[in-house]
Amino acid sequence: MALFLQNLVNALQWGSFYALIALGYSMVYSILMLFNFAHGDIFMVGAYIGVGVAFVLIAMASQGALALPPWAILILTILFAMILTSFVGMLVERIGYRPLRAAPRASAAITGLMIGIILETGNLALLGARRIRFPSLIDTTVYEVGGVFITNTKIIIVVVALLLATAMHLFVRKTKWGLAMRAMAFDYVAVPLMGVSVNAIAALTFALGSALAAAAGILYALAYPVLDPYMGILFGWKAFVAAILGGRGSVMGATLAGFLLGFIEIFAAMIFPSSLRDLIAYSIVLLILIVRPHGFFGEPYSARLRL
Amino acid sequence: MELRGTIRGFSRVPLLGWLVAAFVAVLLEIAVGTPLALSLGLPKIPVLFGVILALKKPLLFPGAAVYVLLIYALPIALIARLGAGLANRAAGRLLAFPLLVSVAVHLGVFYITLELWSGLSDYRDLVLRFTLIAVMVTLSLNVINGYMGEFSCSHPGFMAVGAYVASVLTIDLFTNHRVFGSALLPAALGPLTFPLILIIGGLVSAMSALVVAIPSFRTRGDYLAIISLAFMFIVKSLIENLDIVGGARGLGGQPDWAGLPTVFLWTVVCVWVINNFVRSTLGKALNAVRDNEMAATAMTVDTRYTKMVGFLFAAFWAGVAGGLFAHVLRYVNPGTFGIQKLAEVLAMVYFGGLNSVYGSIVGAVGISLLGEALRPLEIFKWIIIPLLLILVMIYRPTGLVAFKEFDPEAILKPKTDPERERDALPQG
Amino acid sequence: MKLKALIPVTMVVAAMFALATSVSAQTIKIGLNIPLTGDIPKVGEGSKFAAEMWLSDVNGAGGLEAGKKKHKVELVIEDNESKAESAVKAATKLITEDEVLVIVGPQSSKQAVPAGGVSQDRATPMISPWSTNPNTTKDRPYVFRAPFLDPFQGPVLANFITNEFKFTKAAVLYDQASDYPKGLAEFFKGAWEKLHGKGSVVAYESFTTKDTDFSSQLTNIRNSGAQVLFTPQYYNEVALIVQQSRQLGLKSPIVGSDSWGSAETVELCGKDCHGAFFSSHYAAAGATGATKAFIDRYNKTHGYVPDDVAALTWDSLRIVATAINATGGLTGDIKKDRANVAKAMAGIKKFAGITGNMTFTPEGDPIKCAVIVRISDKGQFEFYKSVCP
Repeated sequence: MALFLQNLVNALQWGSFYALIALGYSMVYSILMLFNFAHGDIFMVGAYIGVGVAFVLIAMASQGALALPPWAILILTILFAMILTSFVGMLVERIGYRPLRAAPRASAAITGLMIGIILETGNLALLGARRIRFPSLIDTTVYEVGGVFITNTKIIIVVVALLLATAMHLFVRKTKWGLAMRAMAFDYVAVPLMGVSVNAIAALTFALGSALAAAAGILYALAYPVLDPYMGILFGWKAFVAAILGGRGSVMGATLAGFLLGFIEIFAAMIFPSSLRDLIAYSIVLLILIVRPHGFFGEPYSARLRL
Repeated sequence: MELRGTIRGFSRVPLLGWLVAAFVAVLLEIAVGTPLALSLGLPKIPVLFGVILALKKPLLFPGAAVYVLLIYALPIALIARLGAGLANRAAGRLLAFPLLVSVAVHLGVFYITLELWSGLSDYRDLVLRFTLIAVMVTLSLNVINGYMGEFSCSHPGFMAVGAYVASVLTIDLFTNHRVFGSALLPAALGPLTFPLILIIGGLVSAMSALVVAIPSFRTRGDYLAIISLAFMFIVKSLIENLDIVGGARGLGGQPDWAGLPTVFLWTVVCVWVINNFVRSTLGKALNAVRDNEMAATAMTVDTRYTKMVGFLFAAFWAGVAGGLFAHVLRYVNPGTFGIQKLAEVLAMVYFGGLNSVYGSIVGAVGISLLGEALRPLEIFKWIIIPLLLILVMIYRPTGLVAFKEFDPEAILKPKTDPERERDALPQG
Repeated sequence: MKLKALIPVTMVVAAMFALATSVSAQTIKIGLNIPLTGDIPKVGEGSKFAAEMWLSDVNGAGGLEAGKKKHKVELVIEDNESKAESAVKAATKLITEDEVLVIVGPQSSKQAVPAGGVSQDRATPMISPWSTNPNTTKDRPYVFRAPFLDPFQGPVLANFITNEFKFTKAAVLYDQASDYPKGLAEFFKGAWEKLHGKGSVVAYESFTTKDTDFSSQLTNIRNSGAQVLFTPQYYNEVALIVQQSRQLGLKSPIVGSDSWGSAETVELCGKDCHGAFFSSHYAAAGATGATKAFIDRYNKTHGYVPDDVAALTWDSLRIVATAINATGGLTGDIKKDRANVAKAMAGIKKFAGITGNMTFTPEGDPIKCAVIVRISDKGQFEFYKSVCP
């Protein structure tokens, strides 16, 4: 039982990252119907920006220019990094996606892929191949509850991830901008005629998605403080799986699917020999899609998708 | 005025003329290439038209440029232009025979040119073989992503299956191996059975494609994309866990049977078969399924059968290409068939152009040669190539040569002056 | 009129030719086949920096001695993108186009195995500073390597743990998609089971390259009752594995292999790694003599402590230099020279490298003594014990 509970905790943490990245992926995917293959690399950029911001804040705090407790520095780091990364996201949209608005979706996917490679290689050329350690903003404390080990970082990660997912859900459901986004997802042709600017909505979508990726990047760096330029690739592709598993047009679906993917990976390694983890995990994904060909919350395929 | 006339003159050169001119240029390179290169201050014959050399040592750029001008550009232009009339007549004569004869003659000249050109350097030979294999892979992916309009990510997986099946067969049957024991068949039989082995690899790969093809009956687009992605992860993980084929360590020691003639022949067969396939009724059905599945059903297209054939056919050729790849590299490991390979193949398909045999050839050759030529830039190579691709996508969203039919007869036929051609049209 | 305009152009071109030709006379070309982009750019960067340091040393001293003559050295660096086919293309290009005398690299086994085949077929000596797969050098008289092979390190560590702690139950966590950890894990398991009987490796867990979460595997290890965890991973993964195991309440000692031997292990891992043991042939922080001089110089120029791959590249280049010198002079015929260098390289029986003193087997593999290093409570690498085969 302790084994199961322990892995439940592990899976919650691991799923949080998938959920947050899948959420950002799903925003772009649902509203603009684009595969944003650069998303994993925006996650990487977010983590690196986070390192920069954290270093600046720590330096300021140590010089006395800024009297703040560590948790406040963490919150500020996340906020600043989210804002800065959202600009990166908008830039990516402006350069890579806007000129291709009328093009087949797959072409935009390829530009995304290429922008991702440029972000990776650019980072490599700029900062060198050295791995960077994320500064430890808060000391990790380990709690033991009935044989289950929990750390304060794990709690922070899961709580922040859930908060952000809920906030995003509320934003899409309750605000006017959210309404415009949902409308855009519903009908790509008619909504601009109603006076909603496609470009504004696209930029907003990318900004929000990238901000979420940045948050995920910093939370990730808290738990796994070793950063390198290629850290986002595999994450990006797996979050792509989660986003689509959730179903098109569903913020909650993507979040749940992200957690589900985390659970599948963790429990596959628990039950089966861990060398078979990917084999089992992706066979399960395959089976899910055979049983539910349109993900969990997605609508059946319609000819309306412009491929 | 003068310039336009020159260009119009070149537009009259048939393919045969260009091929023969290239052949002569290569002969020229063999005869005087080395002394010319040395006298121009180059260390040796510039291997890929001087690009590598010029990027590495900019001082050598003029030498390389003069070399390319003297050996390739001028002779080819001259011969093509002056021999245009002769070539047109010859091409016309050839077309009087069945098309196959004309194709064979053209391919023969082309092959001899390539053979001589690559004979000057092992590096050229290797690059050429990998490029031809890339053409096969790109073309087969274009069947799914271009003609059928899906976004399939499983091609590295298909390649891996073909590569491993073919490797296990050749190693098991024809070499002494630690795990598989001594050779079962005499080595002399090897080159004869090699095509069969490649076909078996392709067939197994096609069977594995059922995993992606069957779900495609009920879903498509995005959902199919991740099914195919999951397939790729599964294949990679499966091979990593199969210790009998070396697991993550890979499998080496394949016999050296995939020389230029073999690879060239397979590429030609692949282009020919795929081109015929996409121009057949079934190929048109693929397009119909892509454009509107319901309408296609209404027009009595059996969509399931069409999708199934499309997937299995593409996977077959990816498997054959994988088998060849393994025997050129003479080593395979599961890590080769991962996300990196996927990005590479996708880039080739979309760079070249969707729904087009021409496009796949252009894309595969373009990206392969660019990747080699920009080697001296090291890290910046992977900034320049993606930038180039983004530009292509922005200005030609479906790729460089998309939606263009590849008609051998139109390509091989003699070229007459467009104006005279119009006059010669029967009136009324 | 037109001709006149051509004259200055021709003169410039001619001047450039003259410049270009005067550069390349009587130099020794050494090829470097390394991954500057792709999965492991850090490996390529370290190799490149070490090689450049070596080059400036050699050329600063007037060139590389071969027989009685000194030759300037030119490095030809090729990026193999961490891909097998690219490494093969790079090796072929270095051999046929750049006509190098010797190739150093590729580093990882997935590239060194096929590239070694190319070198063997084209009769060009190649030395891989980093590849541990037996197939790299097997039946290839032209191919050599600088790191020691796994069959030795596994038993050394198994014996060390048994004698030091008197443990009988061990757990292993390794990357199944990477050659080096996988091989070492297998050898360790074999050695441990020989000592303590079948089933004494109570948890044998793995993950895939680029994974960063090991919580599930570590939970399994914790519940298996293992007394010690052996993880032959690279330092970036070590940091994550050790931290996560502590966070999951795994308190047993953790033992690693020579891949831990980077100053960044402690830098990335922090105090969680204090008290851990690993075997090494190269202990960056506890280094003395030539090793220390190399590390300090590298650190000064590039701002960080070099990895083992940089030190091994340095040693490989010095082995190459020794072999070139031992040929007794170059003939100018590249084919003959290559054969001579390979013969001379095979003839090196003993070599004092900064990664330890090596002797070579007939297969071209080195045998080195291993040191057991402990990470002290201050985060320093401390010499603990020396073990020779």
